[in-house]
Amino acid sequence: MTEDYEVEFVEREEREARFVVRGITPAFANGIRRAMIADVPTFSVDTVRVVENSSVMFDEQISLRLGLVPLTTPVDEFEIGDEVTLSIDVSGPNTAYSGDIVTSDDLVQPADDNVPIIELKDDQRLEAEADAVLDRGREHAKHQGGVAVGYRHLQRVEVVGDKEEFAKEEPEILRGVIEDDGELVATETFDNDLTNRYPGKEVEVHDIPNAFVFHVETDGSFSVDELVTAAIDSLHGRATELKEAVQL
Amino acid sequence: MSYKCSRCKRDVTLDEYGGVRCPYCGHRVLLKERSRDVKEVGVE
Amino acid sequence: MMVPVRCFTCGSVVGKHWEEFKARAREGDEDPDAVLNELGVERHCCRRMLVSHEDLVDVVSPYQ
Repeated sequence: MTEDYEVEFVEREEREARFVVRGITPAFANGIRRAMIADVPTFSVDTVRVVENSSVMFDEQISLRLGLVPLTTPVDEFEIGDEVTLSIDVSGPNTAYSGDIVTSDDLVQPADDNVPIIELKDDQRLEAEADAVLDRGREHAKHQGGVAVGYRHLQRVEVVGDKEEFAKEEPEILRGVIEDDGELVATETFDNDLTNRYPGKEVEVHDIPNAFVFHVETDGSFSVDELVTAAIDSLHGRATELKEAVQL
Repeated sequence: MSYKCSRCKRDVTLDEYGGVRCPYCGHRVLLKERSRDVKEVGVE
Repeated sequence: MMVPVRCFTCGSVVGKHWEEFKARAREGDEDPDAVLNELGVERHCCRRMLVSHEDLVDVVSPYQ
């Protein structure tokens, strides 16, 4: 592929973004999507040592909840299999939140502070120590950094004329982002129905070849930028590995 | 030490001959206390 | 029992919105639809997580 890629953001926030990529094949777009889901490693609690748990939930249930709490994962600082120790100690009457988790390494800490872990009544207590391990999404869903990652074809809208006088008034539902007169428009701006944007007009919608609109969200382990670049790096790494293996 | 009577809340040690019964109040419902060991759980 | 930490379907962290959702839409008199939109819980898979949840800690705690 000698064509240049072109990336344009429609929406860009820390944990959620939408962007258009031009000049990539459907296979490559899917490769990026899969890499974002399964190949970018994040830290997640893997073993819990329960010292005291007099709460209403079982140790296993609490451990599962701790495992699902996203932990910040600096890219390129750790290697797969690295461990960080965390601990939690809360006495009732109180609610144990993800923010009560104490970390031994400030680089790895809960991404959100207000996820309730367990509500503790009088005389109930939760004390536990946990090992967070860095692993990939393909090993366990708790290690997935990307959430609801997907893409659609970019579609171009063309007005071809007026509708007939007694034409059926059918909605023309579109989702995602369209290109209209060279401009990128999110379909939410016209309530996903093209007839709102062009009342009484005959319109045609076509897929634009090799242009994709990605929607990416992260669980808070890292920013969208870090996720996308790490996913592409992992694809690049594997491609290089294959190239070298074939040449030998 | 390993059991607790559910009525009088006292610690009860069971022996071979006494049967399942609290020696203090005669109640037959005993609760097993949680071990003080640290329990290691894998997160599935 | 306790709110699920993540959405069962898509995996986004919904637990962090529970306390605000409960205070505003369950105990308060705001419209749950508006509250969820404001919290950024857009997909219906994540919405059902909060809408259909019921805290049961108070119900089971008397039995230790």
